[in-house]
Amino acid sequence: MITRREFLKISALTLAVAITPEGYKIFRAEEVPSQINPNLWIELSKDNYLTVLINKSEMGQGVYTGLSMIVADELDFPWERVRAKASPAGKLYIDPKMKEQLTGGSTSVRNMYFVLRKAGASMREMLLFAASKKLGIPKKDLLAKGGFIIEKKTGKKHPYAEFLEEAKNIPLPKEPPLKKPEEFIYIGRSLPRLDTEEKINGKALFGIDAKIKGMLYAVVERPPYFGGKPLKVDKSDALKVPGVYDVFPISTGVAICGDSFWACEKARDKIKIKWSESPLMNWNDEDFEKFFLHKLKEKGVVVKKTGDPERVFKNSEIVLENTYLLPYLYHATLEPMSTLVWVKKEECHIYVPTQWQTSVIRSAEKITGLPEEKIKVYTTYLGGGFGRKANVEFVEEALEISKKTGKPVKLIYTREDDIKSGYFRPMNAAFIKASADKKGNLTALSFKIAVQPLLGGRASVEGLEDMLYHIPNLYVERVDVDLPVTYWFWRAVGSTHNAFILETFLDKMAKLMKIDPVDLRLNLLKREPIARRVVERAAEISSWGKTPRKGAVMGFAYHYSFGTHVAEVAEVILDEKTGKIKVPKVYCVIDHGPVTVHPDLIKSQMEGAICMGLSMALKEAVRFEKGGVKNTNFHTYEILKFEEAPEVEVEILNSQRPMGGVGEPGLPPIAPAVANALFWGYGLNITRLPLTPEYVKTLLTRKG
Amino acid sequence: MFEIKVNGKWYKVSAFEDEPLLWVLRERLGFTSVKFGCGIGVCGACTVLLNHKAVRACTLSIKEANKKEILTIEGIPSHHPLKRAWIKYQVSQCGYCQPGQILEIYALLLENPSPSEKELTEKLNGHLCRCGTYVRIKKAVKEVVKELKAGGKK
Ligand code: FES
Ligand code: FES
Repeated sequence: MITRREFLKISALTLAVAITPEGYKIFRAEEVPSQINPNLWIELSKDNYLTVLINKSEMGQGVYTGLSMIVADELDFPWERVRAKASPAGKLYIDPKMKEQLTGGSTSVRNMYFVLRKAGASMREMLLFAASKKLGIPKKDLLAKGGFIIEKKTGKKHPYAEFLEEAKNIPLPKEPPLKKPEEFIYIGRSLPRLDTEEKINGKALFGIDAKIKGMLYAVVERPPYFGGKPLKVDKSDALKVPGVYDVFPISTGVAICGDSFWACEKARDKIKIKWSESPLMNWNDEDFEKFFLHKLKEKGVVVKKTGDPERVFKNSEIVLENTYLLPYLYHATLEPMSTLVWVKKEECHIYVPTQWQTSVIRSAEKITGLPEEKIKVYTTYLGGGFGRKANVEFVEEALEISKKTGKPVKLIYTREDDIKSGYFRPMNAAFIKASADKKGNLTALSFKIAVQPLLGGRASVEGLEDMLYHIPNLYVERVDVDLPVTYWFWRAVGSTHNAFILETFLDKMAKLMKIDPVDLRLNLLKREPIARRVVERAAEISSWGKTPRKGAVMGFAYHYSFGTHVAEVAEVILDEKTGKIKVPKVYCVIDHGPVTVHPDLIKSQMEGAICMGLSMALKEAVRFEKGGVKNTNFHTYEILKFEEAPEVEVEILNSQRPMGGVGEPGLPPIAPAVANALFWGYGLNITRLPLTPEYVKTLLTRKG
Repeated sequence: MFEIKVNGKWYKVSAFEDEPLLWVLRERLGFTSVKFGCGIGVCGACTVLLNHKAVRACTLSIKEANKKEILTIEGIPSHHPLKRAWIKYQVSQCGYCQPGQILEIYALLLENPSPSEKELTEKLNGHLCRCGTYVRIKKAVKEVVKELKAGGKK
């Protein structure tokens, strides 16, 4: 990994790209003002490679590929010679919009699109000027194409690298001409990802793969229930295991260090720990359920109030209400939390699969007492992120252990540790009530949710407070829940529960109103032409209203999140005897704004989000026993498997408006689409998830 | 001291007798392409070939693997039809589960170059992918199987 200074030293022609509050800016690397924080550096090397140094984390979403191709397009540079690398971490690399170095909220491409184009175009222009000077040929008689400067008259080709020395002295062009869309060579095309080959040849390095000579391994034994702390540790037997270095308490539990992972694991079985008590230590699933339902009766914060829903309800003939209860969810990144940390006297090195470098640095400052400049963070590939790896408690643990031992320490979470450690998508109970007129409109809607608040509660009501459906009387209330169970962001977090509740409830209303659920949505979206088009296209490509495949029922849902509209239609087959659900096919229509950089990356994000959302719908729930997590590994916290993955048909739409995000918005609609299919097809009034065979069978009997 | 052959080369290594092959390969010998996902044989991330058969390195001790031959993803040439299909369909997302997925199918095809859909499904059901690359895996594998059938060789 290279630092900014080293980068300047070795680079031939380097531009820095920054988004500032006044707009985006591009600098020659040598001239970056100290108060400016570039988001990205691009370097053209003597051997004619383009390296793009990226401050966003690659966790599978394809951000290295997407951002690099925007630069390479304007520069007109061969894709096989483009490399992407993780930038270092620090103030220099923050996203000035978020003021943090953070990959989240589906923002990477939309924040960077125009500035990257301009950067690529600037470099191209500098090379053309330089070539003109060196060759003594007017610039208009030269062409920059495919990594070569071409003499138009003779057709003679010179690699860009021939002109690097001259180009370094060319001033940065103020307004470099940008390509017209029809001149794009890459944007809009599905280029091969830059990280595929590394990933299938075993070369890609993840956090868990980091290594330093002489490092210790560490595992941490954490309390059996949330809120426990180690009171007494008997480590005598553990220390007898060969290779064990030390056993000691840290903030979150008891650390076991040794010269191999396996020595730590063997020693772990031999320690005896007395844990402090916790108010939760006798809580099982039912206690959590009761608690949340009870919380729902308390008074909360009014997040939104337009009109007077209560009054409208009193005068309406069509009124319905439901109470929902949704569980905690685990991220299940296939790479568990893991990091390699070395706290030295003078500096600190951290190799980490993180989504939030700034937070890693803050933690390191706090724990080591070192200033930011002395903290070196190296972002590895992330074996899945989904929000979980924006939390840094695992880095803090490793920092504590390395500080105490003075050695480099690789901390590894076993799968059991990973599940037990929490930071779940919050559990919640919600009450929803609505009324309708006879013309197919909703006249009022009231929603109340009891939940542990994220982003000061904003994330917990997203998709409701700001919903695009036009309902003249709207009330949203939030009751903040305080529990020692740790909670956190989870791909599309608030929208995962709110879209489920709202979208399934809409279908129940539609049935009372005797109206098709797609028509109901179109009525509610009268003032939203972009959303309407998405809903209409999804209905069209799925042949909505026609007979579905044999034995299947169909369900629809739409949701707007992270600036993007998505509608999904699920084909669902239910085996009434066993209660088992199969989803053979999902149709997905997305409108994410004016430009599609890489259609196939969007498609793969939709496929991935649909799999994760379907997994949540059918299988996932964190279960509790005695205040701790009852699920221990993938056999008791099951996630979607190969044969359960649906075929996904994606249509991408564009519309003239600010760009929307892609990583998360594909997830929220799938669970309600599946539930809606079961509602219309089998009359199941679904108010909980997951749709396990047992739950489905209970609903089937309740109906009969 | 144990002795194993990895991708054609012999290695001597000392480890606990009951230490899973996974940790010996990853941490003692540096084959970090063998991934840790669950440690109990249910996710497939740690799959390697042991004497030409796919095994889960997390539930197999080094003692059981002693003197045997192991193949990891680095041992499959990059022009192998499976790897080419993986590129064609741009299967990988985060990439963490991918070596295990490829090795599983590689082993199956060694044994039987024209497996039925049922056999493929059975094998792949044992490999979790949180990123949801399943649909693409299916396409890539189907194409390779077809290719092998047409070519009549493996
Ligand atoms: S790590 Fe071996 S099967 Fe999961
Ligand atoms: S590609 Fe990420 S887990 Fe499979």
